[in-house]
Amino acid sequence: MTTASAIGAPARARRRGRGASAARKAGLGALGIVLFLAGWQLLAITRVLPPSSLPSATDTLATLGGMLQDLEFWRNVGRTMTAWAIGLAIATVLGVVLGGFVGLIPVLRRATHTTVEFLRPIPSVALIPLAILAFGIQLQAALVIIVFASFWQVFVQVLYGVADIDTVARDTARSYGLSGAERLRWLVLPTALPYLMTGLRLAASVALILAITAEMTIGNPGLGRVIFQAYNIGNITTVYAIVIVTGLLGLVVNLVFRFIERRALAWHQSVRGEEAL
Amino acid sequence: MKKRFAVLGVVAAATLALAGCTDSAAPSATTEAPAADGGGELTKVRVAALPIAETGALWAAIDEGIFEAHGLDVEVVPAQGGAQAIPALLSGDIDFAIGQPMGPIRAALQDLGVVIISNYASSIADGTDVNSVVASAASGISSPADLAGKRVSVNSIGAAGDLTIRKAVDDAGGDSSTIEFVEVAFPDVQAQLEAGNIDAGWVPDPFRGLIVGAGGTDVISPYQATIPGLTVLTNFTTQEFLDSEPETVAAYVEAMAEAQDFAMANEDLVRAAIAKNLEIPEAAANAITLPVFTSDLNGAGIPELAELAVQYEYIDAVPDLKKLVQPQV
Repeated sequence: MTTASAIGAPARARRRGRGASAARKAGLGALGIVLFLAGWQLLAITRVLPPSSLPSATDTLATLGGMLQDLEFWRNVGRTMTAWAIGLAIATVLGVVLGGFVGLIPVLRRATHTTVEFLRPIPSVALIPLAILAFGIQLQAALVIIVFASFWQVFVQVLYGVADIDTVARDTARSYGLSGAERLRWLVLPTALPYLMTGLRLAASVALILAITAEMTIGNPGLGRVIFQAYNIGNITTVYAIVIVTGLLGLVVNLVFRFIERRALAWHQSVRGEEAL
Repeated sequence: MKKRFAVLGVVAAATLALAGCTDSAAPSATTEAPAADGGGELTKVRVAALPIAETGALWAAIDEGIFEAHGLDVEVVPAQGGAQAIPALLSGDIDFAIGQPMGPIRAALQDLGVVIISNYASSIADGTDVNSVVASAASGISSPADLAGKRVSVNSIGAAGDLTIRKAVDDAGGDSSTIEFVEVAFPDVQAQLEAGNIDAGWVPDPFRGLIVGAGGTDVISPYQATIPGLTVLTNFTTQEFLDSEPETVAAYVEAMAEAQDFAMANEDLVRAAIAKNLEIPEAAANAITLPVFTSDLNGAGIPELAELAVQYEYIDAVPDLKKLVQPQV
């Protein structure tokens, strides 16, 4: 009994220690947010910037509170996130398929290199007139913009991931006589998965940025369109409130994808190393 | 056990929150059910309109059921500007658009098949016009000739705004070629004037009212000074739509004409529609100078505008007005 409690005590103390440090982290984080809001309110009150360009933090938060009770606001969030989700899904599928295909065939990789390097830097917002001409002021036009930008994130990562196979592992696979399909599952996939997860996380952020940009410039329904219309009539408080919302959405997206990455790569050295006790 | 309570707690909170929710997009109680007399089905049309005060007449008319009475179910698509409206029109996504005439004029020069079918709103020939060039009191600009050599903002360069300002300055004896035009969106003009980044700005209401109320000077109303009664917005569509759906176009133009008469006779309803759709306070909506809502293209000044554009080298030649302007009413 004494031995059991003796073993239990340090472990419990460690857990308490970890709990305390987590609480402290959360406390510091909250303090940071409070200080930021206080600083903003101070800037607004002392009129360093005119109220027509910087509304006070209290006004903005009040507008935000009102918006959170409005069903149409939540519908707009739904529309933006739907465009984001569909765009990200298409970009991921295309990126994985094309990236994997081109990456596994060295001839193709060399042949497409210049074309990829030319197309990749094209800002997808430059395609907006083409998108509207093809699809009008609809979700599909926004998807063109979202997919074009997010695709490259996934494509390039998968391309490099597939090409990064460890030579020793490759030779081992060959000497054990693994078939093409088995090689794909046991050799290519584990190597490419970390790269794919990175690409996915980047693509998720890019897709959110472009979903909102597309709504601002094309005008399909969503949060971006609310920002643009509020701006057009000089309703700056609403603009700031929605900017805060988009920031929170981006934060949530990032957290979700970090979580997915940790789960999918639980077997990988980089993740396991961090969690070793 | 703890987890189940937590879940129940979240569900309860969510239900309470939902019960307290409002819905700003719910159809208003005054919207009438679609008219079922005379053949039942309504034709759906998508109309691109800018989210500005002038669209108030359209909103008020839709609420009143005027378009339904003509067999049309109108969906107003908020456009960011002519740059979005015309490609969307050409792609077939939009059936009609309401916009300023320089867009269709430029499109006509490229043979894109855009056709102006009727007028929507014109500026005011006598009295307070719908827009003006305003300057801060500190800039010392009091007459149009003073604008020479200054930075003047318009919302969109290459349209009727800067064109008529140039003519007005030249007519007043100044040299318009020395004016530096910059693009500033209407809501930003006041801040830019205060910061001194621009010397004068071209704005409509409610922004004009705000700037003049804060001490600014109303320098000139360029539309009234150059082409009095110049059209502010026109109704346009594509030649393709005109050829394939002539009955829909005819119904739309007739409904629009009735809407315009209704708007001129029921200013208070138009202002209420503006306050509701633009989410601005009633006082601001009441202070807006409304344009003349009319379908008449005869006094609209489109040929004069096109010639002015050629004179100031905005366009190479006057477009074929017979193909561009086809009044349907």
